[in-house]
Amino acid sequence: MKQLLLLAVFSFFVAIPAARAGVESKGVPGPQAQPVQLRSVQADFLQEKHLKILARPIISTGSFTFQAPQSLRWEYRTPIRSILLMHGGKVRKFVERDGVLAEDKGMRLDAMQVVLAEISNWLDGRFTDNAMFTVSFPKKQTILLTPKEPGLAALISSIELKLGEQAGLLDKVIIFEGPDASTSLTFSNRIINKEIPAAVFTNK
Amino acid sequence: MKPPAFLLLILLLGLPGCAAQQPSLPELIAEAGEERGCASVFPQGRWEFVHTIEFSMADGSGATVLGVTSLAGEEIACALMTVEGFTLFEAVYREKGGLEVRRAVPPFDKPAFAAGLMDDVRTIFRAPSFATVQYGRVAGNIPTCRYTGAEGRITDILPAMDGCWQIRTYGADQALSRSVTGRSCRKEGESLIPEYLELKGFDPTNYTLKMTLIHVENII
Repeated sequence: MKQLLLLAVFSFFVAIPAARAGVESKGVPGPQAQPVQLRSVQADFLQEKHLKILARPIISTGSFTFQAPQSLRWEYRTPIRSILLMHGGKVRKFVERDGVLAEDKGMRLDAMQVVLAEISNWLDGRFTDNAMFTVSFPKKQTILLTPKEPGLAALISSIELKLGEQAGLLDKVIIFEGPDASTSLTFSNRIINKEIPAAVFTNK
Repeated sequence: MKPPAFLLLILLLGLPGCAAQQPSLPELIAEAGEERGCASVFPQGRWEFVHTIEFSMADGSGATVLGVTSLAGEEIACALMTVEGFTLFEAVYREKGGLEVRRAVPPFDKPAFAAGLMDDVRTIFRAPSFATVQYGRVAGNIPTCRYTGAEGRITDILPAMDGCWQIRTYGADQALSRSVTGRSCRKEGESLIPEYLELKGFDPTNYTLKMTLIHVENII
């Protein structure tokens, strides 16, 4: 189901290193920073959910760990503890229920596999070869992803990636669902190219 | 393998479940007097609530989402989001304008889902509309306000249960249809706000919503 694919996409955007993001840009030339051969990224994030009915955004905090080619640990600490693990082609998700982390077996793993393929493209800097999104560079250090299919656009209007000064890292991601709904993720405490034990991607 | 959203849809659309014998309406020993704190169960004015919501079916399956409820006069707005913040459903209910669904990602786009969800939200946050009201005690000595609607639906408010409150709704056949149990109540102005809520929906479906309060704000 497409919406589940989108949920997975949403999670994975923060793990996109911006290596070679300047290729084949539309509009303003894209970032030209010298790419870093990215093997791994670890970072904390602060997530703000904005909705028209909210007087103030919902704040979530967590961290992620990515290691090439396709290993990811995406973890929320607050307000709900949850962990998404991807490693060796397997995807698992755990969400806190009744005070303990329980596996969410309802995930559509086939959709997750599709997203993994997308991530591989981004890791190689192939932003223009994205099957789901049109890519443009409205400002320096900014990548704008716009869904190609109307069905996708009804759920996510656009995604803005703000690149950091350091090549290969994202500062911020903003997912726009519509005019009054968006989610922003701001990253901090980033560590790149540190060797990560496989257990990080397999154990909750 | 079914996605949790689908499971939620099944349970909220009212497909037949394996319901146990439902409790029926208890006898009310009527007493003279005024309402006994039942109004404090329902927040007055403008409020915003954010909960984690764990829903589960009788077989133990379920999922966890974030829920937002906004109360403003005659208007109730609510939204459901994934843990990752993706908006699954957003709707506004107005007493005179009915239900407006602003966003509904399939399979949450069925009218029955929107109506069922808003019914749950109104049961928790809005005082019932009623044709008659009685005050008294049930099950021996539990203070109760009993509201009977024009269509025969009955709502019992138990304003002093274990330091918090309970709401029980019964159909015209007097069978229990929903129960809401508040726990760890705290006083916010004139209102009693539970830190934890548990809603159980009975026949024809058996489902449970466990709602843990993340944030509450009385918006002045």
